[in-house]
Amino acid sequence: MTSYLVLLGIVVCFSAILALALNFQWGLGGMVNFGLTGFYALGAYASALLMLRAGANSFFAVLGAMAVVAAVCGLVAFITLRVTEEDYFAIVTLGVGEMLRLVALNEDWLTKGALGLTGIPRPFGDVIAPENYQYFLLALAVVLLLATLWFLNAVARSPFGRLVRAVREDDVVAATLGKNVLWVRVRIFAIGGGIIGLAGSMHGFYYQYIDPTQFSNIVLAYGFMAVIAGGRGAHRGAIFGAAAVMVLLEGSRFLKDLIPALDSDQLAAIRIIIIGVGLILLLIYRPQGFMREYRLQTELK
Amino acid sequence: MSHPLSPPAEILRATGLHAGYGAGDIIKGVDAALGQGRIVTIIGPNGSGKSTLIKTLAGLLPARQGEIELEGQRLNELSAPKRVRAGIAYVPQEYNVFRNLTVLENLQIAREFMGAGRSHHRVLDDEVAGLFPELGTHHKTQAGNLSGGQRQMLAFACALTVRPKVLMLDEPSAGLSPKYMSDVFDKVKRVNAMGVSILMVEQNAREALRISHTCIVLAGGRVRAVAPASEVLGMKDLNSLYLGDAQATLH
Amino acid sequence: MLQTTFNGIITGVIMTLPALAVTLLFGVLKFPNFAVGAMMTVAAYMAFALNAQLGWPLLPATAAAALAMGTLCIGIDHVTFKPLRERGGITLMVASLGLGFILENIARFAYGNSARSFAIELARPFRIADVRMNQEQMITLGVSTAAMILMYLLLTRSPMGRAMRAVADNPSLALVRGIESPRVIRWTWFIAGMLLAVGGVLIGMDRALEPPMGSNYLISVFAAAILGGLGSPLGAFVGALVIGVVSELSTLVVPPNYRIGVPLCAIAVILIFRPQGLFGHPYIRK
Repeated sequence: MTSYLVLLGIVVCFSAILALALNFQWGLGGMVNFGLTGFYALGAYASALLMLRAGANSFFAVLGAMAVVAAVCGLVAFITLRVTEEDYFAIVTLGVGEMLRLVALNEDWLTKGALGLTGIPRPFGDVIAPENYQYFLLALAVVLLLATLWFLNAVARSPFGRLVRAVREDDVVAATLGKNVLWVRVRIFAIGGGIIGLAGSMHGFYYQYIDPTQFSNIVLAYGFMAVIAGGRGAHRGAIFGAAAVMVLLEGSRFLKDLIPALDSDQLAAIRIIIIGVGLILLLIYRPQGFMREYRLQTELK
Repeated sequence: MSHPLSPPAEILRATGLHAGYGAGDIIKGVDAALGQGRIVTIIGPNGSGKSTLIKTLAGLLPARQGEIELEGQRLNELSAPKRVRAGIAYVPQEYNVFRNLTVLENLQIAREFMGAGRSHHRVLDDEVAGLFPELGTHHKTQAGNLSGGQRQMLAFACALTVRPKVLMLDEPSAGLSPKYMSDVFDKVKRVNAMGVSILMVEQNAREALRISHTCIVLAGGRVRAVAPASEVLGMKDLNSLYLGDAQATLH
Repeated sequence: MLQTTFNGIITGVIMTLPALAVTLLFGVLKFPNFAVGAMMTVAAYMAFALNAQLGWPLLPATAAAALAMGTLCIGIDHVTFKPLRERGGITLMVASLGLGFILENIARFAYGNSARSFAIELARPFRIADVRMNQEQMITLGVSTAAMILMYLLLTRSPMGRAMRAVADNPSLALVRGIESPRVIRWTWFIAGMLLAVGGVLIGMDRALEPPMGSNYLISVFAAAILGGLGSPLGAFVGALVIGVVSELSTLVVPPNYRIGVPLCAIAVILIFRPQGLFGHPYIRK
């Protein structure tokens, strides 16, 4: 049981990091990233490939993955931010996310396509004894989560953060003040992208095996649910939300034991139906959940 | 204007109206009345709440406090489409025609949806058609391709298609050339002569007041004065009215 | 090349009805509805149930499924989107995403993952001028054309059609012209549901019935509506044909697995450089 909780804790941590990234791009930057799933996959694959193909150690692989996703996000923002409508930006990012997933699925020479990448090394995997490793990974995950929290808070409180808020309130005013509005937004989206890359790398460390089916739009739903469930209050909310969502969804695995009559396809279908219903219920009954205002956390545990 | 022997009944009345868009109220406790068969013009500086008042009467904005009555019937709970069918027609200042639909379709919609159970034989009542001859030649043109003045005429005509009891106009002369402007006020007079009571919001105060019976002065979201239009016209400086507190006698 | 073009035309024609549904829904409800793919799937399975399991001929099965889907859509709107009406585009888009999950997996729950087919008599394909065609494709052309003509008449000649276009053009003006928005919204969902049902059956005839069948077309259908201009019915028609033909022709130069890349790129390019598409008009949001 402890083992199960430890593993759950790890998943909650990197899911929370992903939710924080979404929250950062959306809540602070006002840019909703419907391509979250694709960028997450990009981070996971970049990190895994750097380790498996280029022989990098886990530290540099993570940095590399963060850089790759940040760069791609920055590029997407740069090209797409000509679009002023929020909805259209969402559609374009959705398309980009889909494209990334397609590449993962089809470029066999790079990603092994549907077969996926196996044997992803873990940080300090050969140094720590296998039976203790999960505790280490949990500790590492928590540290990374706290680091991310601290970093995003620092950005939000910095002059840059104030600038971003000013731009979001009224970009015409900001532009006349001589601030390069586009560049500000690109940077926010890129920073968020880096965080997504971090989450993706951790995904790879946890499962040690990645394939395209792990990156369906359910990931996007998880992200939104975490951000919405968390409610107002920037970061703690996202973490709480991620935890709640994961617990709900992991818990639904036990359905199998409760209803033996259903086959695995049907159980998988029910789980996804629960996700969909949960998402809609959260949207309806958590009106303050969809954060438009990025609240600053003044204290940090 | 000399006093009538008996004052006309009020067809539209607002009492203690409060309304706004965000946190605060833009109109704060407005009392206003439109006499049957009269033309009443609301004047006031920018931001005084003139448009907000009309939108609230039309039903596009909820009245946060206060009452709205049409011929004694309480309108507060009625949605905007229902108020239209009760007999209040509203012409917004801008975006007052369906630009992606043709002139004919705009008129058809007005005919089909604005009247409750009236006969739909003719798209444009003969009298109203006589008022807007220029629309006849442009039936198939997309409303968005008309000139500003023509669009205004179309908006006006749509509102009249099912002979409302009350017509509310938000700055009908805004953005129009002088030719169209005098044309608009001329039409307003003729529509009034057909029996329609008219409530107007106007920036071009003098032009509007010339054809009005009564003037309501709105500033800072409150009614500052109500007086016969001729009296207000006679005043050299309207600004003093905007700062007033007292409500002058009606009519 | 000619064969590919013909196949493209058929694909395009299959997409015209769903693209029209997307554009009508966007025009009246003001947000992109990502559940339309799954709605097509559910409707197709409903027709399958009547056709392959109860033995109805496909035409009445489709008609019944269309009526059922139209009604179901009104109910779905009432439960899911109506409470969120005031909240803005992103919330509604996310809700439609969740709805898509629910609907697709209801189909998966009921019928599993393996592919099914409608029960229609097999007919020999035939050739005209070196192009191979089959009976299903002829039916597709006929049904879609008839449906498009009906829709054209509805939108231009009927009061409700005019009201729908009016609401798409300027919702608050529509209110003060006596148009009751709940009624228009209900009719829009009903019509969209029927269009999606027919589209779903056509997809099921062209390919096979499986849970992702509708979602596979989601991106292409949106590309078609966006290319034509969101809110423009004519645009949906033209956009669908263009996307269909270009997607098929692209398989001649691009690896087949990336077929979806064409509509994706089209979406991105159009929204960035000409968001109103070919025939879209500027419209008022509120």
